[in-house]
Amino acid sequence: MLDFTEEQKLAQSTIRAWCAQHLEPHVLKLESGEMSVYPVMRELAGTFGIPDMARAAFAKMRERREAAKEERPGTGFKGLGDASLMAILTMELTRCCPGFALAFGATLGLFGGAVMARGTPEQKEKWALPVFTLEKIGAWALTEPGAGSDAFGSMKTVARKDGDGYRISGAKTFITNAPFADCFVVYAKMAGAEASDVRAFIVERTAKGVATSAPFKKMGMHASPTGEVFLDDVRVPADQLLGGEGAKNARDAAKSSLNQERFGMTPMCVGIVDRCLVEAVKYAKTREQWGRPIASFQLVQEKIARIYTARSIMYTLLFRQLEADKTGTPLTAAEASASKLYCARTATECAMEAVQLMGGAGYMTGSVVEMLARDAKLFQIGGGTDEIQILRIAREVLESP
Amino acid sequence: MKILVPLKRVSDPDNANKIKVGAGKVETTGLEWKPNPFDEYAVETALRLTENGTNAKARLGEVTVVTFGPKETETTLRAALATGADKAIRVDTTDDAIDGDLLARALKALVEREKPDLVLLGKQQVDGDANQVAQLLAEYLGWPQATFAGQITSEADKALLVSREVDGGSIKLRVTLPAVVSVDLRIVNAVGVTSMHTPPTHKYSDGVRFAALMAIMAAKKKSLTEVKLTDLSPDTALKIKYTGFDLPPARKAGVKIKTVAELVQKLKTEAKVL
Repeated sequence: MLDFTEEQKLAQSTIRAWCAQHLEPHVLKLESGEMSVYPVMRELAGTFGIPDMARAAFAKMRERREAAKEERPGTGFKGLGDASLMAILTMELTRCCPGFALAFGATLGLFGGAVMARGTPEQKEKWALPVFTLEKIGAWALTEPGAGSDAFGSMKTVARKDGDGYRISGAKTFITNAPFADCFVVYAKMAGAEASDVRAFIVERTAKGVATSAPFKKMGMHASPTGEVFLDDVRVPADQLLGGEGAKNARDAAKSSLNQERFGMTPMCVGIVDRCLVEAVKYAKTREQWGRPIASFQLVQEKIARIYTARSIMYTLLFRQLEADKTGTPLTAAEASASKLYCARTATECAMEAVQLMGGAGYMTGSVVEMLARDAKLFQIGGGTDEIQILRIAREVLESP
Repeated sequence: MKILVPLKRVSDPDNANKIKVGAGKVETTGLEWKPNPFDEYAVETALRLTENGTNAKARLGEVTVVTFGPKETETTLRAALATGADKAIRVDTTDDAIDGDLLARALKALVEREKPDLVLLGKQQVDGDANQVAQLLAEYLGWPQATFAGQITSEADKALLVSREVDGGSIKLRVTLPAVVSVDLRIVNAVGVTSMHTPPTHKYSDGVRFAALMAIMAAKKKSLTEVKLTDLSPDTALKIKYTGFDLPPARKAGVKIKTVAELVQKLKTEAKVL
């Protein structure tokens, strides 16, 4: 795979046209919070038949389940059932509004993905399907006020056995969709077990003891609502332990979700850099100083060439990732981290370069590159900071024989 | 109802500034292509006429799209198949080798082969803006024609009541099928097309539909056949010869006018419109 197929390119141009008509005009209102992202998400899903795709995939899963009488975890509907298509959708949404893409990715990719990867068949039906049809919005809650990069070691949220269910207490923060989500995947340590024993639970907003904060104000990704989740002795039935009673330690599951998040960030970074290039080129060709377009100046050309080069490399990384997914040979931790590290840093740099190229016009609120520059910074922090990626790369490289 | 919709790709009208003229020809390298918007309206109209709008997945007729162009124009056909058209035909040729009249003669042969009840076309292409094919085709076929349709009501799929905007109102024509109809922008508003298949209470969203992702992926399974232009029209002589192309002159800088009197003066002496 070195390029998208004809059909995938057609999907891309169709999604781009939709974004221009139905997302772009609302970006300022979505960013200011005047408009909610969720109705727009539902419109997007309806237009492109995402609920129908999910229902059809689930119907097939049921058939296979009945025939084989067993189901391997991690099988069934992932994203849009096609990693390339999901990447294209993510990329196109990000070109227009990264915050929108982030909130969309958190419900479908993180919540939906976690339930599909580790859930029992009943949990997939009950919790993942309504999220894929956009009837419900999901959130994925790992980070805590005192547990960031050391997510498991410093985790304070505790689950204890209570009859045939569990009771969970603790707090989660910086959680995408938290202020409005209907359901959460929450990671907690098992009381009385080994300190390393972490489990994942599906928690409903309506459960007694669940509260969420108002959306936080933040540097970027304004369209994506971020907040805290408070769990005060929340009773969770046994069937909401992700993966069921036989579930293994959820640390690996959380790590695989983080890998998914990192993968999702590559197309987002491509989207940012691609849009920056378009905006920078358009401006450089039309803005005149000293009687000629600024595109004729070599310092401006250098910026454009750098953004272009970054985009070319990111596309290569994206296709490498999609190829690995297709052939079922996952990237090593170091390779995934290297890709995430490069994309995150470079997207931030490129967006800043685009602002610089456009000068005052790029610095003004309402300019696309100003939004992209603030939004890009998130990728150096979320899904594992740059520093954590560096540690993962070094560990693997140094430990390999 | 069986409907034939000719459609064509045109250079992206939003990027018209990229068009260059060299050696008496429009240079096509580097241009971005899009379906002609009026043709997209014709496809949307055809789909609305052959479905129940409340359950658009079940097809109640057949829409065939046809384009005249080289292999790469199949992308335009695939896009139409993805939005719901049932099959596609590409007549292998290039833009330079056809004109409106040859197109109409070739389409006549195709109509005789495909036997549609209706040929729906965009009122014109936004590149050449000739607005000829629908009228010529109706003449060659000896079929009734209605052009620039802003609203179509199908009367039991036997006749169409076609409304066209004119100064100060609209005119309505009833054409008995088979017929040739060309459409204008207004046809794709919420109630532009009505038929017995869709309940009168149903409102479409304005504009042309977006293809669902699954339909895009499945479009390659639909039939797309290739036909040679000479199979449709052995006589491929052109009646229109392009003698040259010029880009519109660059706009000159304007002047600021301080008073109404000065404006009136300039309208009289410079613009000479008063």
